Formats: sequence, C-alpha cells, structure tokens
Amino acid sequence: MNNSNGAVYDAWIASASIPPDTVRLLLQQYGDAERCFNAVRSGEDEITGMLTPRFRMILEKNGREDNLKRLENLIQAHDIRVLRFDDPQYPVLLSEISQAPAILFYQGELNCLHRRLLAMVGSRAASYKGQKAARKLAADLSMKGISIVSGLACGIDAASHLGCLDGGSPTVAVTACGLDSVYPKENIRLHDEILLKQGLILSEYSPGEKPSGWHFPIRNRIIAGLSQALILIEAKIRSGSMTSVQHTLEQGKDVFVYPGDPESDYFEGNHQLLREGGIYFTSAEDILEDMHWLDNPSAVRQNIESCPEHTGLPPEQQAVILALKPGAIGFDQLLAGTHLDPPTLMSTLTIMQISGIIESLPGKKYQLKH
Amino acid sequence: MSDILAKALSFGVSGVNGYPVHVEVFATGGLPVMEIIGLPDASVRESKNRVTAAIINSGREVNPYRITVNLAPADIRKEGPSFDLPIALGVMIATDQLHPDPRVDMDHIAFFGELSLDGCIQAINGALPMVISAKENGVSSVILPEKNAKEVSCIEGIRILPVSHLKQVIYWLENLEGITEQLQTSFDTLKTEAVISTDMSQIRGQKGARRAIEVAAAGGHNMLMIGVPGSGKTMLARCIPGILPPMSFEESLETTRIHSICGKLPAGNGLMVTRPFCSPHHNASVASLIGGGQDAKPGEVSLAHNGVLFLDELPEFSRSALEALRQPLEDGIVSVARVRNQARYQSSFMLVAAMNPCPCGYYGSSRRSCRCTPPEIRKYLDRVSGPLLDRIDLQIEVDSVPLNEINDSEPSESSFTVAGRVEKARRAQLERYKGTGRHCNAQLNNEEVRRYCTPDPEAVRLLHMAVDSLHLSMRAYQRILKVSRTIADLEGTDHISSAHVAEAVQYRELDQKYWR
Repeated sequence: MNNSNGAVYDAWIASASIPPDTVRLLLQQYGDAERCFNAVRSGEDEITGMLTPRFRMILEKNGREDNLKRLENLIQAHDIRVLRFDDPQYPVLLSEISQAPAILFYQGELNCLHRRLLAMVGSRAASYKGQKAARKLAADLSMKGISIVSGLACGIDAASHLGCLDGGSPTVAVTACGLDSVYPKENIRLHDEILLKQGLILSEYSPGEKPSGWHFPIRNRIIAGLSQALILIEAKIRSGSMTSVQHTLEQGKDVFVYPGDPESDYFEGNHQLLREGGIYFTSAEDILEDMHWLDNPSAVRQNIESCPEHTGLPPEQQAVILALKPGAIGFDQLLAGTHLDPPTLMSTLTIMQISGIIESLPGKKYQLKH
Repeated sequence: MSDILAKALSFGVSGVNGYPVHVEVFATGGLPVMEIIGLPDASVRESKNRVTAAIINSGREVNPYRITVNLAPADIRKEGPSFDLPIALGVMIATDQLHPDPRVDMDHIAFFGELSLDGCIQAINGALPMVISAKENGVSSVILPEKNAKEVSCIEGIRILPVSHLKQVIYWLENLEGITEQLQTSFDTLKTEAVISTDMSQIRGQKGARRAIEVAAAGGHNMLMIGVPGSGKTMLARCIPGILPPMSFEESLETTRIHSICGKLPAGNGLMVTRPFCSPHHNASVASLIGGGQDAKPGEVSLAHNGVLFLDELPEFSRSALEALRQPLEDGIVSVARVRNQARYQSSFMLVAAMNPCPCGYYGSSRRSCRCTPPEIRKYLDRVSGPLLDRIDLQIEVDSVPLNEINDSEPSESSFTVAGRVEKARRAQLERYKGTGRHCNAQLNNEEVRRYCTPDPEAVRLLHMAVDSLHLSMRAYQRILKVSRTIADLEGTDHISSAHVAEAVQYRELDQKYWR
C-alpha cells in the first residue's frame, strides 16, 4: 500500500495521460512513482529515452510545487487511495486485458473486487422499461451474492447500481473522471450511497481530471475487464454500450443480451447482438445457470415456475389482470377491457398497485408486475 | 354677463369601487378658453374638444366665456372619457344654453358617457361599479350610455335612463320626457342566457380525465394535467367552467365589476352569468397576470375571479410569474401597489394547469419515442416549484385518444348531466361548512382536513399502505384526504370509504412518477 505521500506521485504520473504500458515500464524501472519523479526532475538520460519529449514536458509542468500541493489536497480531501498493477490486491482478471491500467485510484472497499462481478451496461437516455428491467435484474443477481459493475452514468448505469444496492450486495462503479468529482452531478447521492454500502468507486484518472468524451470508451475496457461477463440491457446500434460489448468480446468473455421490445428502437443494438450470437436470457436465474453459479439448479427452477397465482382475488381485480395479460395498456383501454366504471377502476388500480400486482408507467399506462 | 356656477354629478372608479365626482363648471368673462382641473389624465383633458363639438352638433352654441371645469375631489386622479357628458351639461348650463326643468334635482342624478364629435354617446368602462356606488350614495337616477344599460339592469332601487345622443339628454332635462327607462332584469332571467362554450359531450374517450375534471369541479380543487401534445388537455380545461355550479348573484356582481373596469365586457351584455375562463399565454408578465400597470389595473387572476384560470405549458411561464400566483391562490385576493394607485382585487379562481411530460413532449408516449435526456426532463419538471405544486390537489396524466375511439359513435355525457352531479356535491359542502367561511373542500386547511375528512378505519389502513408502498409525501397525504372527501360528496355520502380513498390516490400518481 502506498502512503499518501507516494499517492501524490502516482497521481502526478497518471495526470499526464501516458499510455498504461509505458507507465508500467517506468514503474518497473524505478520501483515507484516518487523515484520516477526525481529522475524526471534531475533530467536523467535514461528516462528521456523512455518518454517522448511531449510527455516529459507535461510531466515537468505537472511536477511543479503548486500542482503537487493541489493533487495532495484533493487526495486527502476525498480519501482517494491508489492501487498499482503490482499490488497483490490488483484483480487478476483486469491485469490480463490489453492496456490494463497501471495505476487505479479508488474510494471505498477494495475487497469488493474479490466477489463475483458482472458488468451491466446500457443507454444513458434509457427507456422506462429498460431501467425497470435493469434495476430488477441487478437486485435479483445481488440477492444471489453477485456484485454489479457499471459506469455511474444516468439511465441503465444508475438503475443497475441502485438494483444491486436494493439486493444488498455492494456495487462497483468505474468513472471516467477524477474521483474528486462526480459526473453526472445527478448521481451524487448514488455515489455516496455506494460508498455507504461498502461499495467501490474506481477510476484510472488522476484527481482533478475532468470527464472528456474520449475517456468514456477507454474507461469501458475497465468495466469489462473487472467482470466475468457483461449484461447489455438496452443499446442503440451506435452507442457507448456497444464499445463495452466490444471490449468484453475481445477479452473473451460472455455477453448476455436482454431481449427488449423488438418494436422499439431503444433496443435495436440488443437485437443485432442477439442475431450475432449474444446470449439470450430472461431472468437472473438464466444468467446464474450459464455462469455455473447455481448452487442448486433445480431449486431455483421451481421457484420461477411457481408464479404468483391470482385466484381468490375480487372479480374487478381479476378482470384487470386479464386485460393486462397481453402487455401494458392505458387507462381508457383498460376501461373498455374490464367494463368497469372510471371510479371503480381507479380504486381497483390503487389497491392492486399497493398489493404489488401491477405497476403504473408514465403516460397513464399500467402493466402486470411479473 | 353674469358669472354662473353649474354642477353635475358623476362617478369615477378606483380599484373595483366607484366614488362620486362633482363636476363644477364656472363661466366668466375673459379670453374664451376652457380649462379642466382636478387631476385629469390625457383622456379627460381632451374632453373639452369633444364637448365643444358635441354641443354645437346638438344644436346649441358655445358662447365665448372663460370656462373652468373642476372635477372634485381634486386630489384623486381622474381617468377615462366617462366625464364627457356631465362636463357638456355643466358647460351648457353655465353658459346659459340649457335650463333644466325646475323638477330636475341635479344633486340626485348621475351622468356618465363618452361623447363623440357628432353628439352620440358611447359606451364606457366601469359602468357597473359606478352605478353601484351611485346607489350607495343616494342617487335616484342615472343617465348612461345605452350600451351600458343592460350591464347595470340587475341593480335594484335606482332608475336607469339609457341614452344614445346628447340631444336626448338636453330634451329630457328641459321637458322630463324622451327617455325610456331601462326595465329591471332579474338575475334568474339572465341566468338562462348562460352559454357553455365547450360541452363535455364533444370529448371522445378520455374517460379517466373526464372523471378527474368532474372531481376537481365538485371540490373546487386546483388541477394539473400532464400529457403528450394533442391529447386534449386544453379542451378538457375549457369544459370546466360549464360544469361548475352556476354563479350566484353576488359572485356574478363581483366578476362583472372586474371585467367592467377593464373594459372586457362585451357591449350590450348584462351581468356575467357564465364563469370566466382565462388562458393567458405563457409569455405573460407578472403584471399582466397579477395586475399592475401605472394605474394598478386588475390582471388575469382577477379576471378569472369565480372562474377558471388555465395555464397551458405551465413550465414555460416565467418563474416569477408562477411564484406570484401563490398569494392569490392562498388568499383569494391580490393586492397590487403601483406608482399612482394601489388596489386589492378579488381573485379566487380554480387553477387548471397543463404541461407536457418533457421538453419534446413525448416522454411515456406509446406512439412516438421521446428524444430528451434525463437531465433535460428533470430541468423541465423542476421549473414548476414545490410550493406551487403544493397548492394543486389533483394531478392527472392525459394520454392521446386512439383513432378508433375518436370515431366511436357512443355519445359522451353532456356538461349538463355532469354539472347536476357537481352542484349536488357542492350543496353538500355548503351545508357542511355553514358558518365557517369555507364553501368547498379545496379551501380546507390541515386542521380542517383532520376535522372533516376522516375516512373509516379500513380506508385509513389502505391510505397508510399506499403512502408506504407508493412512496407518497406528507403533502400528498393531505391532498388525498381532501379529494376523497369530494369523491364521497359526489357519491352523496358523508362517509369516506376505502374506494373513495383508493380513487383519490390515483390523482396523486405524478408525485411518484415525475417529482420524486
């Protein structure tokens, strides 16, 4: 483990955006970042040979007293710690990928990385359905002791983290900016919640680094690299989520694809992947089975088949269930389908919402919860 | 040549109230000019040119005197052309052109009217408050423009003499004949003239939303509709005045007064018997909404008094305009203070607001996909502040109606039928709140909600479960109780059951879906 003084020099190296392989060479050569720093400052020939003049210039500039002071303040204020590639804690799976980060910054509990990890990715501007599905799936997996890795973005990312927290397992977020800030701002509460629940937040970017567009696809290799497989919830054909899929496939891992509504263009990427051989699943149990993580397969199967029986409910509620069987519909269609009058239907819907049989969607639509 | 002082009585308007104005005319020798004093505004000052022309065109002369017209009290600013007629009469008497019959008691006759150059008498603004004030000041007869006669015909105990030309007034003053007195119109007769601009039977489908506006009307609850463009939010809102209970005489008087001083009353109309429906555009300024301008004129909230204020595209209204609505929503009265004047106007209206669920309008729509990002949607919804949402009891979602339902031949219920149920529910409320100063469920405060809206134990249990499982806020809890009171009133029972509470929960759904 590095002390906080050493962490400043790690942050200093990371702030120059040098390719990870070069950073690894430097660290191997000099032993640690502080010695590297001294070498750069004294202008040793050897280090000049390892670095391009441009990187040297940036390192020298970033090595000024005031900048080091700033980095140190950030590290201390946000309790940021460092995980180097040669640390025994550094996850083996991640070290095997190409361009594995040499230095990682983290907040929270590092031992999360020893859990069973699955990545969940999807669109930021996600459909309501996709978010619901992500949250439920993450919760189900989490209840089976699996932690979810995602990117702390809006939409599917946030839903996956939240679901994982719902299920009681800690969750891992890999961000695309320095750990001193949270991007997007909306997720500050989620960020705090993750840390509160013994989760982990990781980044390869030096504290103080702002999120840039090109960080995200690069960051996605870490999300893929940390996990044993990846679950795609919702993506259009050209999207950031598809780069995560690409990284996962390059790393030789499985990609599970959520079979969204084929009519909706929110899921066009999912269906393309399914055609190309993505793994189809409908529930957490499917994934557990494919990952060979089922302790007692038959027990779970049974659990799924014993769907909630809706017998013994009052006739209005049964009429509503019948009308909702084909999928989500609006209030007026429900009226037509159930032949109830508006006040009765409204109160029936409330009672069914409370008892968890149905849920309401934006646009005054209702659907069965299972 | 003798100096003569002539007097004529008229009235001015300040705020929504009239006050007596004594028009004094003094003619004396000197340079032939006419001067008007007593803080006249430009339209009163120009009166002298109209008066001169009108007198000549009525067959009298304007002799070369030095004429001073004083409008007493001299410290209140006078505005508007309604003093033309009394000034003209005063000038004619002072210059020896007109000799009223000795039986005419000039101290108890009030004159209003704008003159045109040919002597015709034009309609004026604010006739209703002026005549009411005249009656209170012991005036026995008023002479006013023909076009304003109907507006004031409901006021009892004062003789209304409508005129159309200055000649007619001159003849009447000299001979006491030539004007037909305006007949009293009873308020009940007027009521039959009420028109429903948009009838509920024109709405196809939307059964859920129809029920919601019925509940809102029955309890006087403010309401917010969220829905995709073209789902019929505006049309639903336009139906509301037609299903609210008919206006009482007092309500009608209050509303007509405000419309009268703004000149918004259609010429030739009597008291307003149809509840007003005001829908200001979303670029409306605070002053146009609340009232203002140099003379502190009433704004849209007061024009909507006893009626419906409809704010379409709610988040597009400026923040300051929306925040300014809080006082009138709370107190039913708005005080406007401006440079020259300050006034308090009544403004107890039912707020009906409509908005899209997101900037592009299609969030949650099944027909088109939304292209807004989550932060954009959040930013859009956040433009409606919590304190304003706090004052809105019903929030509903309106989805567009499928084509096959639009062509559905089954006719919807008419406004008349719905209004019957609403009136019954309102009567029950009036009975219950007798002597408390309240007259509908929407006005109850938290304390009164506890007293009057107590559901049975079963329903309380249901409500607590709903609050728990649907993550409703405390403010939603209070609103649900109020609305379930109204639903029970609509059903004609005093007893709030679980079905009522469960239905009321449906009108708070947006809390969970949008504002979390």
